[in-house]
Amino acid sequence: MNRRNFLSLGLGALAVSMAPSTLSAINFRDTKPKAWTATKVDEAINEIFGSSKLSEGKIKLKAPDIAENGAVIPVTVSTKLNAKTVAIFQDANPETAVAVFTVPENGIIDYSVRIKMAKTGTVTVVADVDGKLVSASKLVKVTIGGCGG
Amino acid sequence: MAKKTRIKAKLKKGIVTVKALASHAMLSYQEAERAKKEVNFITYIVAKVNGKIVYELSSSQFLSKNPYMKFQFRGAEKGDKIELTWTDLKGVTQVSSAKIK
Repeated sequence: MNRRNFLSLGLGALAVSMAPSTLSAINFRDTKPKAWTATKVDEAINEIFGSSKLSEGKIKLKAPDIAENGAVIPVTVSTKLNAKTVAIFQDANPETAVAVFTVPENGIIDYSVRIKMAKTGTVTVVADVDGKLVSASKLVKVTIGGCGG
Repeated sequence: MAKKTRIKAKLKKGIVTVKALASHAMLSYQEAERAKKEVNFITYIVAKVNGKIVYELSSSQFLSKNPYMKFQFRGAEKGDKIELTWTDLKGVTQVSSAKIK
């Protein structure tokens, strides 16, 4: 099975599972298994959102400039846009996808998580707003020595 | 068995803010190899209030150890129960709950 077939198959299955109720839970681990093994940010975005065309927008990404401990990096993503899906990526680890949030009906997009990064890299957040991908990114320096330099 | 997830949920001006701290080693492939332990991490977290999903997250091994989450939502009352469920790579699930204050 080639890649194109696989993708359309996935989209078809997703459409079917979405049909009865838009409130049904989506586990992106099951629906998009390829996204989690993608080694490039572009590829992972493409797998999850079906496109990697990003645009700047009103989405806020809060992360430290310098993280002394790469094992615990607080990342906050917030936006007032009416996004359906929000995802966090980074390019320091072997695989790039970190987390994918599905925004429920009453959800407010103001998510904080702590992530791990093996070395200095760029954290990227992408939100799906009515089919348009809005993103923001930030470089986080990881200094594992702990001297904060 | 791992400890329960610690959840604090507070209602303020119609918005519920939830802070949760799950107890999980979150061993990534690299870390597991180094520590000679099995790979295991939380892959899916979902929180519900009154049977309605208020938070949903599919995650990879790059969340920190003992993952911390903060999120907000509308449409819940004081005293409602919030139920947070996580599933890890081995298929273990854990349900924790707390009352919204």
